[in-house]
Amino acid sequence: MGRLLLATSAVVLLLLVVISAFTTNHVASENSAAVHQPAVQDKDDLRTLQARYKALSKQLSHLMPNQPYILVDTARNRLYVKHQEQVVLDAIASTGSGIILDKPGEGNSQWIFDTPRGEFLVKSKLTNPTWIKPDWAFIEEGLAVPQNAADRAEQGVLGEYALGFGKGYFIHGTLYTRLLGKNVTHGCIRLNDSDLKGVYKLARVGTPIMIF
Amino acid sequence: MNLCAILFLLAFTTPSWGKDIKVFPDLNLNNPNELKEATRVLEEELKLAARPQTYLLIDLSGGTIHIKGRGVGLHQIPIIVWSAESWKDLKGIHRLVARPQVVRRKVEPGAEVEQEPISLADMPADYVLSFSPSLSVTVVPSVESDSLFQSAVLLGKVGWRNVRDWTSRLLMDRSSEPTAHLRLTLSVNHAQSLAWSLVDGMALVIRRPTDK
Repeated sequence: MGRLLLATSAVVLLLLVVISAFTTNHVASENSAAVHQPAVQDKDDLRTLQARYKALSKQLSHLMPNQPYILVDTARNRLYVKHQEQVVLDAIASTGSGIILDKPGEGNSQWIFDTPRGEFLVKSKLTNPTWIKPDWAFIEEGLAVPQNAADRAEQGVLGEYALGFGKGYFIHGTLYTRLLGKNVTHGCIRLNDSDLKGVYKLARVGTPIMIF
Repeated sequence: MNLCAILFLLAFTTPSWGKDIKVFPDLNLNNPNELKEATRVLEEELKLAARPQTYLLIDLSGGTIHIKGRGVGLHQIPIIVWSAESWKDLKGIHRLVARPQVVRRKVEPGAEVEQEPISLADMPADYVLSFSPSLSVTVVPSVESDSLFQSAVLLGKVGWRNVRDWTSRLLMDRSSEPTAHLRLTLSVNHAQSLAWSLVDGMALVIRRPTDK
Protein backbone atom coordinates (compact mmCIF):
# COMPACT_ATOMS: atom_id res chain seq x y z
CA MET A 1 0.00 0.00 0.00
CA GLY A 2 2.81 2.35 1.02
CA ARG A 3 4.78 1.51 -2.12
CA LEU A 4 1.74 2.10 -4.29
CA LEU A 5 1.21 5.50 -2.67
CA LEU A 6 4.88 6.38 -3.13
CA ALA A 7 4.83 5.30 -6.78
CA THR A 8 1.62 7.27 -7.43
CA SER A 9 3.12 10.38 -5.80
CA ALA A 10 6.25 10.01 -7.92
CA VAL A 11 4.20 9.71 -11.11
CA VAL A 12 2.07 12.77 -10.22
CA LEU A 13 5.17 14.79 -9.37
CA LEU A 14 6.84 13.73 -12.62
CA LEU A 15 3.72 14.69 -14.55
CA LEU A 16 3.62 18.12 -12.92
CA VAL A 17 7.33 18.64 -13.61
CA VAL A 18 6.80 17.78 -17.27
CA ILE A 19 3.78 20.09 -17.51
CA SER A 20 5.62 23.01 -15.93
CA ALA A 21 8.70 22.44 -18.09
CA PHE A 22 6.47 22.44 -21.14
CA THR A 23 4.81 25.65 -19.99
CA THR A 24 8.12 27.38 -19.30
CA ASN A 25 9.30 26.68 -22.85
CA HIS A 26 5.98 27.87 -24.16
CA VAL A 27 6.33 31.04 -22.14
CA ALA A 28 9.81 31.73 -23.43
CA SER A 29 8.69 31.40 -27.02
CA GLU A 30 5.78 33.77 -26.43
CA ASN A 31 8.14 36.60 -25.60
CA SER A 32 8.76 37.01 -29.28
CA ALA A 33 5.11 38.00 -29.75
CA ALA A 34 4.65 41.71 -30.05
CA VAL A 35 2.17 44.48 -30.53
CA HIS A 36 1.76 45.13 -34.20
CA GLN A 37 1.36 48.83 -34.91
CA PRO A 38 0.33 50.29 -38.26
CA ALA A 39 3.34 51.36 -40.30
CA VAL A 40 4.37 54.98 -40.28
CA GLN A 41 4.05 56.61 -43.67
CA ASP A 42 7.22 58.63 -44.05
CA LYS A 43 10.09 60.37 -42.37
CA ASP A 44 7.94 63.35 -41.39
CA ASP A 45 5.74 61.07 -39.33
CA LEU A 46 8.81 59.61 -37.67
CA ARG A 47 10.09 63.09 -36.84
CA THR A 48 6.70 64.02 -35.38
CA LEU A 49 6.76 60.89 -33.23
CA GLN A 50 10.31 61.59 -32.09
CA ALA A 51 9.40 65.17 -31.19
CA ARG A 52 6.34 63.97 -29.26
CA TYR A 53 8.39 61.39 -27.36
CA LYS A 54 11.04 63.97 -26.45
CA ALA A 55 8.41 66.49 -25.35
CA LEU A 56 6.75 63.91 -23.10
CA SER A 57 10.11 62.85 -21.65
CA LYS A 58 10.80 66.46 -20.83
CA GLN A 59 7.39 66.85 -19.21
CA LEU A 60 8.13 63.81 -17.05
CA SER A 61 11.48 65.24 -16.00
CA HIS A 62 9.66 68.40 -14.89
CA LEU A 63 7.70 66.28 -12.40
CA MET A 64 10.88 64.81 -10.89
CA PRO A 65 12.11 66.45 -7.67
CA ASN A 66 14.46 69.31 -8.53
CA GLN A 67 15.80 69.36 -4.98
CA PRO A 68 17.28 66.64 -2.76
CA TYR A 69 14.71 64.03 -1.76
CA ILE A 70 14.62 61.20 0.75
CA LEU A 71 14.19 57.64 -0.47
CA VAL A 72 13.36 54.86 2.00
CA ASP A 73 13.57 51.16 1.14
CA THR A 74 11.55 49.46 3.89
CA ALA A 75 12.37 45.93 2.72
CA ARG A 76 16.10 46.42 3.05
CA ASN A 77 15.94 49.10 5.76
CA ARG A 78 17.95 51.74 3.93
CA LEU A 79 17.46 55.47 3.74
CA TYR A 80 19.05 57.53 0.99
CA VAL A 81 19.13 61.24 0.36
CA LYS A 82 19.33 61.66 -3.39
CA HIS A 83 19.72 64.62 -5.69
CA GLN A 84 18.72 63.50 -9.16
CA GLU A 85 20.73 60.33 -9.80
CA GLN A 86 23.35 61.11 -7.17
CA VAL A 87 23.23 59.51 -3.72
CA VAL A 88 24.13 62.26 -1.24
CA LEU A 89 23.64 60.16 1.90
CA ASP A 90 23.25 56.40 2.38
CA ALA A 91 22.12 55.20 5.81
CA ILE A 92 21.06 51.99 7.51
CA ALA A 93 17.63 52.50 9.03
CA SER A 94 14.99 50.65 10.98
CA THR A 95 11.44 50.69 9.65
CA GLY A 96 8.04 49.24 10.60
CA SER A 97 7.82 45.73 12.06
CA GLY A 98 4.49 44.87 10.45
CA ILE A 99 3.32 43.43 13.77
CA ILE A 100 -0.28 43.96 14.88
CA LEU A 101 -1.77 44.91 18.24
CA ASP A 102 -5.47 44.72 19.11
CA LYS A 103 -7.13 47.96 20.20
CA PRO A 104 -8.80 47.10 23.51
CA GLY A 105 -12.55 47.57 23.56
CA GLU A 106 -12.77 48.37 19.85
CA GLY A 107 -13.91 45.04 18.43
CA ASN A 108 -11.71 43.90 15.56
CA SER A 109 -9.84 47.19 15.32
CA GLN A 110 -6.04 46.88 15.32
CA TRP A 111 -2.85 48.87 15.07
CA ILE A 112 -0.59 47.70 12.25
CA PHE A 113 2.98 48.79 12.79
CA ASP A 114 3.91 49.41 9.16
CA THR A 115 5.92 52.28 7.76
CA PRO A 116 3.52 53.92 5.30
CA ARG A 117 4.45 53.52 1.60
CA GLY A 118 4.09 56.25 -1.00
CA GLU A 119 5.14 59.84 -1.34
CA PHE A 120 5.20 62.23 1.60
CA LEU A 121 6.72 65.59 2.45
CA VAL A 122 8.82 66.69 5.41
CA LYS A 123 6.25 68.63 7.41
CA SER A 124 8.26 69.56 10.48
CA LYS A 125 11.85 69.70 11.68
CA LEU A 126 12.38 69.40 15.41
CA THR A 127 15.45 69.59 17.62
CA ASN A 128 15.65 67.68 20.90
CA PRO A 129 12.19 66.22 20.31
CA THR A 130 10.02 64.92 23.12
CA TRP A 131 8.20 61.67 22.48
CA ILE A 132 4.53 61.99 23.35
CA LYS A 133 3.79 58.32 23.87
CA PRO A 134 0.67 57.20 22.01
CA ASP A 135 -1.89 54.77 23.48
CA TRP A 136 -0.31 51.72 21.84
CA ALA A 137 3.00 52.29 23.65
CA PHE A 138 1.26 51.76 27.00
CA ILE A 139 -1.07 48.98 25.86
CA GLU A 140 1.82 47.06 24.32
CA GLU A 141 3.59 47.09 27.69
CA GLY A 142 0.44 46.04 29.50
CA LEU A 143 0.13 49.43 31.23
CA ALA A 144 -2.89 51.66 31.72
CA VAL A 145 -3.16 54.59 29.33
CA PRO A 146 -2.57 57.74 31.42
CA GLN A 147 -5.27 60.38 31.60
CA ASN A 148 -2.79 63.17 32.17
CA ALA A 149 -1.01 64.32 28.96
CA ALA A 150 2.15 65.17 30.91
CA ASP A 151 2.52 61.48 31.80
CA ARG A 152 2.97 60.65 28.13
CA ALA A 153 6.03 62.84 27.56
CA GLU A 154 9.40 61.08 27.36
CA GLN A 155 12.69 62.90 26.77
CA GLY A 156 15.83 61.63 25.08
CA VAL A 157 14.51 58.57 23.25
CA LEU A 158 14.15 60.10 19.75
CA GLY A 159 17.69 61.47 19.47
CA GLU A 160 18.64 65.09 18.79
CA TYR A 161 16.43 65.63 15.75
CA ALA A 162 13.13 64.50 14.26
CA LEU A 163 11.57 65.11 10.88
CA GLY A 164 7.81 64.67 10.81
CA PHE A 165 6.05 63.48 7.69
CA GLY A 166 2.45 63.34 8.87
CA LYS A 167 0.03 61.24 10.93
CA GLY A 168 2.53 60.95 13.78
CA TYR A 169 5.30 59.39 11.68
CA PHE A 170 8.86 60.71 12.09
CA ILE A 171 12.39 60.10 10.97
CA HIS A 172 14.24 60.16 14.29
CA GLY A 173 17.17 58.79 16.27
CA THR A 174 17.32 55.72 18.47
CA LEU A 175 18.86 54.31 21.61
CA TYR A 176 18.76 50.84 20.02
CA THR A 177 21.41 51.22 17.33
CA ARG A 178 22.07 47.45 17.33
CA LEU A 179 18.61 47.01 15.76
CA LEU A 180 19.37 49.27 12.79
CA GLY A 181 18.89 47.35 9.55
CA LYS A 182 15.88 45.48 10.95
CA ASN A 183 12.13 45.98 10.76
CA VAL A 184 11.48 46.74 14.40
CA THR A 185 9.69 50.09 14.67
CA HIS A 186 6.04 51.01 15.09
CA GLY A 187 6.14 52.78 11.71
CA CYS A 188 8.68 55.55 12.28
CA ILE A 189 12.07 55.50 10.58
CA ARG A 190 15.06 55.29 12.91
CA LEU A 191 18.62 56.34 12.10
CA ASN A 192 21.86 56.56 14.04
CA ASP A 193 22.92 59.98 15.37
CA SER A 194 25.33 60.99 12.60
CA ASP A 195 23.03 59.94 9.74
CA LEU A 196 20.11 61.68 11.43
CA LYS A 197 22.15 64.88 11.67
CA GLY A 198 23.04 64.59 7.97
CA VAL A 199 19.41 64.11 6.93
CA TYR A 200 18.33 66.96 9.18
CA LYS A 201 20.86 69.29 7.50
CA LEU A 202 19.98 68.24 3.94
CA ALA A 203 16.19 68.22 4.29
CA ARG A 204 13.92 71.19 4.46
CA VAL A 205 10.23 71.47 5.22
CA GLY A 206 8.72 70.40 1.90
CA THR A 207 11.46 67.90 0.98
CA PRO A 208 9.81 64.87 -0.69
CA ILE A 209 10.05 61.48 1.02
CA MET A 210 9.48 58.46 -1.22
CA ILE A 211 8.87 55.24 0.68
CA PHE A 212 8.50 51.80 -0.89
CA MET B 1 27.40 90.96 -7.98
CA ASN B 2 25.79 92.86 -10.82
CA LEU B 3 23.08 91.60 -13.16
CA CYS B 4 25.50 90.82 -16.02
CA ALA B 5 27.60 88.60 -13.78
CA ILE B 6 24.52 86.72 -12.58
CA LEU B 7 23.31 86.20 -16.16
CA PHE B 8 26.80 85.02 -17.16
CA LEU B 9 26.82 82.47 -14.34
CA LEU B 10 23.32 81.29 -15.17
CA ALA B 11 24.28 80.80 -18.81
CA PHE B 12 26.98 78.33 -17.78
CA THR B 13 24.92 76.52 -15.18
CA THR B 14 23.29 73.36 -16.44
CA PRO B 15 19.77 73.32 -15.13
CA SER B 16 18.96 69.87 -13.79
CA TRP B 17 15.24 70.50 -13.86
CA GLY B 18 13.57 69.74 -17.13
CA LYS B 19 16.66 68.24 -18.74
CA ASP B 20 16.39 65.48 -21.33
CA ILE B 21 16.11 62.11 -19.67
CA LYS B 22 16.24 58.61 -21.10
CA VAL B 23 13.03 57.08 -19.83
CA PHE B 24 13.53 53.93 -21.91
CA PRO B 25 17.25 53.46 -22.56
CA ASP B 26 16.61 50.51 -24.92
CA LEU B 27 14.26 52.51 -27.14
CA ASN B 28 15.22 52.77 -30.80
CA LEU B 29 14.24 56.30 -31.76
CA ASN B 30 14.19 55.33 -35.44
CA ASN B 31 11.61 52.59 -34.95
CA PRO B 32 8.15 54.18 -35.28
CA ASN B 33 6.33 51.30 -33.62
CA GLU B 34 8.58 51.38 -30.59
CA LEU B 35 8.15 55.15 -30.43
CA LYS B 36 4.37 54.88 -30.55
CA GLU B 37 4.30 52.41 -27.69
CA ALA B 38 6.81 54.40 -25.62
CA THR B 39 4.80 57.57 -26.23
CA ARG B 40 1.58 55.89 -25.14
CA VAL B 41 3.26 54.66 -21.94
CA LEU B 42 4.72 58.11 -21.24
CA GLU B 43 1.30 59.71 -21.64
CA GLU B 44 -0.07 57.27 -19.04
CA GLU B 45 2.91 57.71 -16.75
CA LEU B 46 2.61 61.49 -16.79
CA LYS B 47 -0.86 61.17 -15.25
CA LEU B 48 0.55 58.99 -12.46
CA ALA B 49 3.71 61.00 -11.86
CA ALA B 50 1.67 64.17 -11.40
CA ARG B 51 0.28 62.84 -8.11
CA PRO B 52 2.03 62.00 -4.82
CA GLN B 53 2.06 58.21 -5.07
CA THR B 54 4.26 55.29 -5.97
CA TYR B 55 3.29 53.25 -9.03
CA LEU B 56 4.43 50.25 -11.06
CA LEU B 57 5.74 50.24 -14.59
CA ILE B 58 6.12 46.76 -16.04
CA ASP B 59 8.46 47.17 -18.97
CA LEU B 60 8.08 43.96 -20.99
CA SER B 61 10.35 45.38 -23.67
CA GLY B 62 13.15 46.10 -21.23
CA GLY B 63 12.41 43.03 -19.07
CA THR B 64 12.13 45.05 -15.85
CA ILE B 65 9.53 46.01 -13.28
CA HIS B 66 10.02 49.56 -12.04
CA ILE B 67 8.65 50.96 -8.81
CA LYS B 68 8.42 54.68 -9.47
CA GLY B 69 7.28 57.94 -7.95
CA ARG B 70 7.16 61.34 -9.70
CA GLY B 71 8.84 59.74 -12.71
CA VAL B 72 11.83 58.70 -10.59
CA GLY B 73 12.86 55.05 -10.59
CA LEU B 74 12.89 53.97 -6.94
CA HIS B 75 13.57 50.27 -7.40
CA GLN B 76 13.98 47.80 -10.25
CA ILE B 77 13.10 44.13 -10.43
CA PRO B 78 14.35 42.04 -13.37
CA ILE B 79 11.88 39.76 -15.16
CA ILE B 80 13.29 36.35 -16.07
CA VAL B 81 10.47 35.24 -18.38
CA TRP B 82 7.03 36.57 -19.12
CA SER B 83 3.99 35.58 -21.13
CA ALA B 84 0.59 37.13 -21.69
CA GLU B 85 -2.93 36.41 -22.86
CA SER B 86 -5.17 39.10 -24.37
CA TRP B 87 -2.07 41.13 -23.92
CA LYS B 88 -2.79 43.55 -26.71
CA ASP B 89 -5.44 44.90 -24.31
CA LEU B 90 -2.81 45.67 -21.69
CA LYS B 91 -3.18 49.38 -22.32
CA GLY B 92 -4.17 52.14 -19.92
CA ILE B 93 -3.78 52.46 -16.17
CA HIS B 94 -4.71 49.52 -13.96
CA ARG B 95 -5.28 49.67 -10.20
CA LEU B 96 -4.37 46.88 -7.78
CA VAL B 97 -7.54 45.50 -6.19
CA ALA B 98 -6.38 42.21 -4.69
CA ARG B 99 -3.03 40.90 -3.51
CA PRO B 100 -1.93 37.98 -1.35
CA GLN B 101 -2.53 38.18 2.37
CA VAL B 102 0.54 38.47 4.55
CA VAL B 103 0.57 36.54 7.79
CA ARG B 104 1.33 39.05 10.52
CA ARG B 105 2.33 38.23 14.05
CA LYS B 106 0.40 39.73 16.94
CA VAL B 107 1.77 41.39 20.08
CA GLU B 108 0.39 40.10 23.35
CA PRO B 109 0.18 43.12 25.69
CA GLY B 110 2.71 42.94 28.47
CA ALA B 111 4.29 39.76 27.10
CA GLU B 112 7.93 39.20 28.03
CA VAL B 113 8.81 37.63 24.68
CA GLU B 114 9.06 40.03 21.73
CA GLN B 115 7.35 39.01 18.52
CA GLU B 116 9.55 38.37 15.51
CA PRO B 117 9.08 41.27 13.05
CA ILE B 118 7.88 40.69 9.53
CA SER B 119 10.61 40.39 6.90
CA LEU B 120 11.04 39.78 3.18
CA ALA B 121 11.21 36.05 3.89
CA ASP B 122 7.59 36.20 5.11
CA MET B 123 6.43 37.44 1.73
CA PRO B 124 4.96 35.02 -0.82
CA ALA B 125 6.93 34.25 -3.97
CA ASP B 126 4.09 32.59 -5.86
CA TYR B 127 0.92 34.69 -6.05
CA VAL B 128 -1.73 36.35 -8.19
CA LEU B 129 -2.44 40.08 -8.32
CA SER B 130 -5.79 41.36 -9.54
CA PHE B 131 -6.09 44.74 -11.16
CA SER B 132 -8.98 46.84 -12.37
CA PRO B 133 -9.93 47.09 -15.23
CA SER B 134 -9.75 43.35 -15.60
CA LEU B 135 -6.15 42.22 -15.53
CA SER B 136 -4.52 39.48 -13.51
CA VAL B 137 -0.80 39.19 -12.99
CA THR B 138 0.57 35.84 -11.89
CA VAL B 139 3.99 35.95 -10.29
CA VAL B 140 5.88 32.67 -10.21
CA PRO B 141 9.34 32.07 -8.74
CA SER B 142 12.06 30.78 -11.01
CA VAL B 143 12.94 27.14 -10.42
CA GLU B 144 16.66 27.73 -10.03
CA SER B 145 17.74 26.09 -6.83
CA ASP B 146 20.80 24.47 -5.32
CA SER B 147 18.79 21.44 -4.29
CA LEU B 148 17.31 19.03 -6.82
CA PHE B 149 14.52 18.23 -4.39
CA GLN B 150 13.61 21.91 -3.96
CA SER B 151 13.63 22.34 -7.74
CA ALA B 152 11.31 19.37 -8.16
CA VAL B 153 8.94 20.66 -5.48
CA LEU B 154 8.89 24.13 -7.06
CA LEU B 155 8.35 22.69 -10.53
CA GLY B 156 5.57 20.55 -9.13
CA LYS B 157 3.89 23.62 -7.62
CA VAL B 158 4.16 25.53 -10.89
CA GLY B 159 2.83 22.55 -12.83
CA TRP B 160 -0.07 22.08 -10.41
CA ARG B 161 -0.98 25.73 -10.75
CA ASN B 162 -0.90 25.44 -14.55
CA VAL B 163 -3.31 22.51 -14.38
CA ARG B 164 -5.57 24.59 -12.10
CA ASP B 165 -5.37 27.62 -14.44
CA TRP B 166 -6.22 25.53 -17.50
CA THR B 167 -9.13 23.87 -15.72
CA SER B 168 -10.57 27.16 -14.48
CA ARG B 169 -10.24 28.64 -17.97
CA LEU B 170 -12.04 25.67 -19.50
CA LEU B 171 -14.84 25.98 -16.96
CA MET B 172 -15.02 29.78 -17.25
CA ASP B 173 -18.20 31.36 -18.59
CA ARG B 174 -17.28 32.40 -22.14
CA SER B 175 -19.77 35.22 -22.11
CA SER B 176 -18.05 36.98 -19.21
CA GLU B 177 -15.65 39.87 -19.79
CA PRO B 178 -12.26 38.59 -20.99
CA THR B 179 -9.45 39.08 -18.51
CA ALA B 180 -6.04 40.10 -19.72
CA HIS B 181 -3.47 37.88 -18.06
CA LEU B 182 0.21 38.51 -17.54
CA ARG B 183 2.51 35.88 -16.12
CA LEU B 184 5.88 36.94 -14.72
CA THR B 185 8.68 34.65 -13.65
CA LEU B 186 10.99 36.31 -11.13
CA SER B 187 13.71 35.08 -8.84
CA VAL B 188 12.37 34.11 -5.42
CA ASN B 189 13.90 37.20 -3.77
CA HIS B 190 12.54 39.53 -6.43
CA ALA B 191 9.07 37.98 -6.26
CA GLN B 192 9.08 38.54 -2.49
CA SER B 193 10.44 42.04 -2.94
CA LEU B 194 7.62 42.90 -5.33
CA ALA B 195 5.01 41.51 -2.91
CA TRP B 196 6.53 43.66 -0.16
CA SER B 197 6.38 46.87 -2.18
CA LEU B 198 2.75 46.60 -3.29
CA VAL B 199 0.16 48.96 -1.88
CA ASP B 200 -3.64 48.59 -2.18
CA GLY B 201 -4.87 50.64 -5.12
CA MET B 202 -1.37 50.94 -6.59
CA ALA B 203 -1.39 52.01 -10.23
CA LEU B 204 0.21 49.97 -13.00
CA VAL B 205 1.26 50.81 -16.54
CA ILE B 206 2.63 48.21 -18.94
CA ARG B 207 5.05 48.84 -21.78
CA ARG B 208 4.52 46.15 -24.43
CA PRO B 209 7.13 45.04 -26.91
CA THR B 210 6.59 45.92 -30.55
CA ASP B 211 7.65 44.47 -33.89
CA LYS B 212 11.36 45.05 -34.33
